[in-house]
Amino acid sequence: MHDESTPDWKVLVRERLLPLGLPEQEEQQVVAELAAHLEDCYEEQIETGVSESAACETKLNELFETRRLAKNIQRAKYKEELMNPRTKQLWLPSLVSLTAAMGSLMILILISLQPRFLGRSPLQMVLLPWLALLPFCGAAGAWLSRRGGADLVARVVSGLFPMIVLFSLVGTLIVTRLIVLARPHLPFISIWIALGIILPSAALLIGAAPFLKATKSKGIA
Amino acid sequence: MLTERVEYRISIFIMKRIRSQIARGSAELAILVLLAEQPLYGFEISKQIEEKTGGALYFTLASLYPMLYDLEKRGWIAGRWEPNVAGRDRRYYGLTPAGKKELAPLRREWNFFFQALDRLAGVTNA
Repeated sequence: MHDESTPDWKVLVRERLLPLGLPEQEEQQVVAELAAHLEDCYEEQIETGVSESAACETKLNELFETRRLAKNIQRAKYKEELMNPRTKQLWLPSLVSLTAAMGSLMILILISLQPRFLGRSPLQMVLLPWLALLPFCGAAGAWLSRRGGADLVARVVSGLFPMIVLFSLVGTLIVTRLIVLARPHLPFISIWIALGIILPSAALLIGAAPFLKATKSKGIA
Repeated sequence: MLTERVEYRISIFIMKRIRSQIARGSAELAILVLLAEQPLYGFEISKQIEEKTGGALYFTLASLYPMLYDLEKRGWIAGRWEPNVAGRDRRYYGLTPAGKKELAPLRREWNFFFQALDRLAGVTNA
């Protein structure tokens, strides 16, 4: 219940401080916390014999520093956060796993094209080594995502992102083939899906698995 | 002449940065030490620091809360709303396990720093 004679600190703080550019709930919490602080300071001054108006004025003077306060709060809340949470939790980890997976595939293909390796099967030279490397790519994506504070879905997506991209591409190719060729070669498509999608997805998931467990929450010690 | 002026400005800038880092570091240590004893809310933190340091260290709104939010973001402290003795909701901050872990080396660093300063300038005998 707000007493008529005492200032409404929440309103005063809100008027002087907002907008802070933070999410609404966070902004409300900051306002409530600062208002509570001012209220305690004000009451303490009243108890020590300072007149109500003088106490109010002193506390309001602190609020006149609001430009600095707002700037400092924004800096503290968003310090070193060059990326928004979505980028940190999903896009960057996904990009890392995609780059690692596609980069390693490209390197393996380039190696297999070396004259001394010509004649060896692509399965031996490209696919098997790639499948062996993919768990690390999945692990990198899921680990970065977990480090960014992502939930389970985002961590799975980050780990499997290379296959999501590849699946979209292969899917488009298959649909195109179905449209262009009246009689598509089904065994060929099945092999493509098995070797190009299912096995690599499993490999990525194996790597991502250790990072899919929930992290310990930060409680007060 | 110009180089001298630039060098002078750089040294002033560095000095200011060092001073501000020292002030910031000591304030952080003071907050963590207090919260290691018990969870406190912002007003209590500023009051206790001022009292315990005889007014040598004090916080304004503009310095206390950004620092608390920064420490919270680093995961060293965590805040939660709870009613105080008067039954009013206040945001109590407590040390997290990560903060506890951070406090010991921080204490050592500051101890080392003051000892070094003492050896150099005889601060304690001044």
